[in-house]
Amino acid sequence: MKKHILVVDDEESIRELLNVYFVGTGYRVTAVASLAAALDAVRQEPPDLIISDLQLEGADGLQTIERLKSAVPDKPVILLTGVLFDPQAVNQVLMSKVACYLPKTCSLAQIMDAVRRLTQAPGA
Amino acid sequence: MKDKTIRRVVLFFLFIAAVLVAVAVQAVRNISHSVADSDWVNHTHAVILETEAVRSALLAADGLLHTYVLTGDARDLRACREALSDASENMDIAKALTRLEPEQNRQLVEIESMANQRADFVQGVLAARQSGNVATVREMLAADAGGTAVRDIQKKMDKLKSDELELLTARDTAAYLQAQATSWTVWTGVALDVLLLAGAAWLVRDDLAARRRAATALQEANAQLDARVQERTADLGSANSRLSTENLERRWANHALEHQLRYNHLIIDSISDLVLVLTAALNISRVNPAVVRLTGLEPAELVNQPLSRVVRLAAEPDGADAPLRDPIAQSLKDGRELQRQPAVVEDKRGRQTRALLSLFPLRDQDRVVGCVVTLQVLTPQSNTAPAERNP
Repeated sequence: MKKHILVVDDEESIRELLNVYFVGTGYRVTAVASLAAALDAVRQEPPDLIISDLQLEGADGLQTIERLKSAVPDKPVILLTGVLFDPQAVNQVLMSKVACYLPKTCSLAQIMDAVRRLTQAPGA
Repeated sequence: MKDKTIRRVVLFFLFIAAVLVAVAVQAVRNISHSVADSDWVNHTHAVILETEAVRSALLAADGLLHTYVLTGDARDLRACREALSDASENMDIAKALTRLEPEQNRQLVEIESMANQRADFVQGVLAARQSGNVATVREMLAADAGGTAVRDIQKKMDKLKSDELELLTARDTAAYLQAQATSWTVWTGVALDVLLLAGAAWLVRDDLAARRRAATALQEANAQLDARVQERTADLGSANSRLSTENLERRWANHALEHQLRYNHLIIDSISDLVLVLTAALNISRVNPAVVRLTGLEPAELVNQPLSRVVRLAAEPDGADAPLRDPIAQSLKDGRELQRQPAVVEDKRGRQTRALLSLFPLRDQDRVVGCVVTLQVLTPQSNTAPAERNP
């Protein structure tokens, strides 16, 4: 059974790239553009992993993450954002809310490493 | 290879056929010779038999002659004359048989002559006895005492028989040699054909072995080719996958850079302070929208213009304008910042606005390549010390 990844990003090119990449490496992908669509997708088929941007239409920053976590509390969330955080802020604020923080300047291979690590972990 | 082998096999079979034909021709010829020899042997035996019959008839006539002389019986006379007639008939047959053999025919003519003389003698004695002339008969028989004439005839006949038997022996020897030659010819032909067949079989076997080797080599080559094709296909698939991944990585990196650049622009453009990026020669290379709004000049009108086109340091308290270029140039040269220096910004229409100028050198690997100048516009409510020094 292929692992299911939910990609939440308001940029279509980001969703398309991640969809092609993960499907090509053996995952099932559901890509949505908004928090509302993400919550609908989670209700229809809970994913094994969520990759989410921070700034979405209709949601404010970490509120997006908190809403998604409340919907599927046992599933890991990767925060993939173009907003660069200070490392100290990441450790103090973000890591309590997400399983992994990745800037969009990182490579796809780094994203894949995090996905593999988190989808193989118990509960994923 | 195929055509060469077929040519060789065909040549072998043609040679085999030629040998068979030669053997058959030789055998037929020898058979014909044997038949002829057999005819000749029969013929020779016939000559000998007829000659012996002549001898027997003559001896019988001689015996009957003496009997008739003693008995005077007419049956003996008739029998004697019949014997002479038989001898004459047998002699004619023998001569006919030897008409194509001059030597034998010559001997028979001699024998015939002697036999005729003997027959004449017998006829004479018979005639004398028949006429009752005993004295003549006695005289004639006395003259024939010892049987010399008959012995001479027998010697001639023995000689003829001996010659015929010698010829028979010679013909037997020739026939034997011919039979041997036929046998040798046949067996030699058979052996040669067997050798040729063996050669042809060896050629076919060699050709089949070569074909099997070629087929095996072809199969191995095909297998190797298949393996190479599969390996190459796998390599190409792997390379294609790698290229696809690299392509996705490049697209992702470009997108990330574009996103980051847009985000950085957004940050700078959102700042209400005037931001100008200067080259090392203090020419403007970039401005934020706040500069455009305050000066009324478009970025295209500002880029590549000296900073002094729109900004100068504020006048000193004594009323004189402070030199603008030198403190900034010196800061750049020293690689140090300027903080909150009083300055004046002049717009497109010549109107002046007071502001606080700060300068931050741009370093690239410890080398100053330009600077960022920010200008905080002073409003009437601004209560900073430097602002108080502005005119």
